[in-house]
Amino acid sequence: MIELNNVKKTYHTGKISFEALKGISLNIEEGEFTGIIGPSGSGKSTLMNILGCLDRVSEGTYFLEGKDISTMKDNELANIRNKKIGFVFQSFNLLPRLTVFENVELPMIYAGIHSSLRKAKAKEALEKVGLLEWSKHRPNEISGGQKQRVSIARALCNDPSVIMADEPTGNLDTKSALDIMKVFQNLNDEGRTIIMITHETENIPYFKRIITFRDGLIVEDREVLKRKILNGSAAIDYIKIPVEDEFSIPDENN
Amino acid sequence: MHLTESFKIALDSILSNKLRSFLTMLGIIIGISSVITILALGEGGRNYITATFEDIGATTIEVSVTGDTLRDSDYFTLADIEYLKKSVADIKYSTPIAQARGTITSTKEKMTAVYSAGSQDLKYIVDAQFIEGRFFSADEATEGRNVVVIDENAAKILFGRNSNFINEMVNISFKNSTKRVKVIGVTKTLNPLAGSTNFGTNFPAVVYIPYNLYVGMNPEIEKIDSFFVSSADRDSTDLVAKNIVNLLKIRKNNTDRDIYQASSFLQALDQINNIITIFTTFIGAVAAISLVVGGIGVMNIMLVSVTERTREIGIRKAIGATTTNILFQFLTESVIISLIGGLIGMGLGILLSTVGGGYVGIVPVISIQQIVGVTLFSSAIGIFFGLYPARKAAKMDPIDALRYE
Repeated sequence: MIELNNVKKTYHTGKISFEALKGISLNIEEGEFTGIIGPSGSGKSTLMNILGCLDRVSEGTYFLEGKDISTMKDNELANIRNKKIGFVFQSFNLLPRLTVFENVELPMIYAGIHSSLRKAKAKEALEKVGLLEWSKHRPNEISGGQKQRVSIARALCNDPSVIMADEPTGNLDTKSALDIMKVFQNLNDEGRTIIMITHETENIPYFKRIITFRDGLIVEDREVLKRKILNGSAAIDYIKIPVEDEFSIPDENN
Repeated sequence: MHLTESFKIALDSILSNKLRSFLTMLGIIIGISSVITILALGEGGRNYITATFEDIGATTIEVSVTGDTLRDSDYFTLADIEYLKKSVADIKYSTPIAQARGTITSTKEKMTAVYSAGSQDLKYIVDAQFIEGRFFSADEATEGRNVVVIDENAAKILFGRNSNFINEMVNISFKNSTKRVKVIGVTKTLNPLAGSTNFGTNFPAVVYIPYNLYVGMNPEIEKIDSFFVSSADRDSTDLVAKNIVNLLKIRKNNTDRDIYQASSFLQALDQINNIITIFTTFIGAVAAISLVVGGIGVMNIMLVSVTERTREIGIRKAIGATTTNILFQFLTESVIISLIGGLIGMGLGILLSTVGGGYVGIVPVISIQQIVGVTLFSSAIGIFFGLYPARKAAKMDPIDALRYE
């Protein structure tokens, strides 16, 4: 679904050029749950910006669902961001003056979906993340974990091909962080493709695939063998403390 | 994206900081309300003057003789005036007018007086309204009989009572000449202040006397250098004026000299109209400048608003808002602010012009064109001055915007 071919990105500030990505080639298929890790400055955020169509490649090609992103105009990119990609940010990025419900509706407004269908879908998304009763609250009235769940609900509404999350647990406490990982795992179980940047190595066991970045290049790209699956149903009760089951694939040598 | 959605987003933003929004539109409110007030009062003033003078002024013509070397025969005589009245079609009234200041005395009182002398038609020219008696007749005018018409205020002061003034005797005196005359008519006093107990005695008596009585009392006869004529209706005024001049030239053997002039009050009215127009245009221009300042205020605040909402713009773009969406959103905001400001300004302008007009006695003129004009103009200000900030917002790079603290 996602094809990157020798993608390079160079930033020019005045006389200084900085090569953030030095030649990335990578394929991500539908249904994957991929984590991107690496030290800061390694290029993971730059890659995410390019994957998310917020930025353009300096060299190389990016194909999303068979379409060449690099030739698209700004308006087309905006359309792709609206319909194909669901963003989840580290600092939540909810609009403070809108209610939870209105925040979730927003991408659908830009998609031109009319009011009744919009409201139905927003309701559905909020139910999925367990926050329907908080619909009329403002973002400053809910906790970090709740905010992030609203972000996820917002990201789901236009039924995107891929969800891209940039350090979504970065601003959360441990309990909320696990909650969010649980949400993502459940979404992936339903078939959603999820790409996530994280710098917390404790999160690694939750992914199916791990790509490691260093200095603008991929240094490792492997399947996660020992995975952790978080327990719980689709409608998450955020008061309950999550229970982890350790699920290990016996490795060949054991 | 739907227009209603843009509208809602913009309105929500405006309402979120009501004080700031109000201060932004204040410039426009002041600008529009001044323009409306000036225009309404200007039009109202014009109507007032036109209405007041139209009856008399539109049909009144002043005929005069001017020049450097005038012979006695160039001047007018009463016979000339009578001749014209008979010969020119559409002349309703004609009269010479001579004026003098003097005194009027009864057995009880003495007052200053302003004398106006003319023919029997003088009463139409001055629009005299009688509370007792009548004006002097054609015969009385021609024979110069010893009769006068005085105003109500003077009558009350001279005779110390409120009625029954006819046939009373008074002494009229001006230019070192005195005559004993009979009161045959009393007119309404036009000046409203003259009737009050405080000022009444300071106002001179308004006295009308027959022209030949004036001539009789005046040893050095002043030549008649001007007289007034009233045309039958407004449309015939110009033609009557022309005919009078032509006939005078022939009758007075002055066909080769351009010494006779007939000008109607209409021309004076036109001049007054012009002055009002110039005045309103000038003040209107000043008000328009204040509108520009108001528009700059809108632009200023919109720029601040855009900077403040950098993060928000980044978020909107990240979830799919196009450059056009953002442009339209902010443009809608500035248009709404300007439009609301314009409507409030218009309401305020109507209020001010009604109150102010009531104070001065002018009915303000508010028209549909003004309302439509204000609406369009305010929107235009919103678009024009909101465009730069809106473009700035629309062009923001989402990644940079998202990083903004």
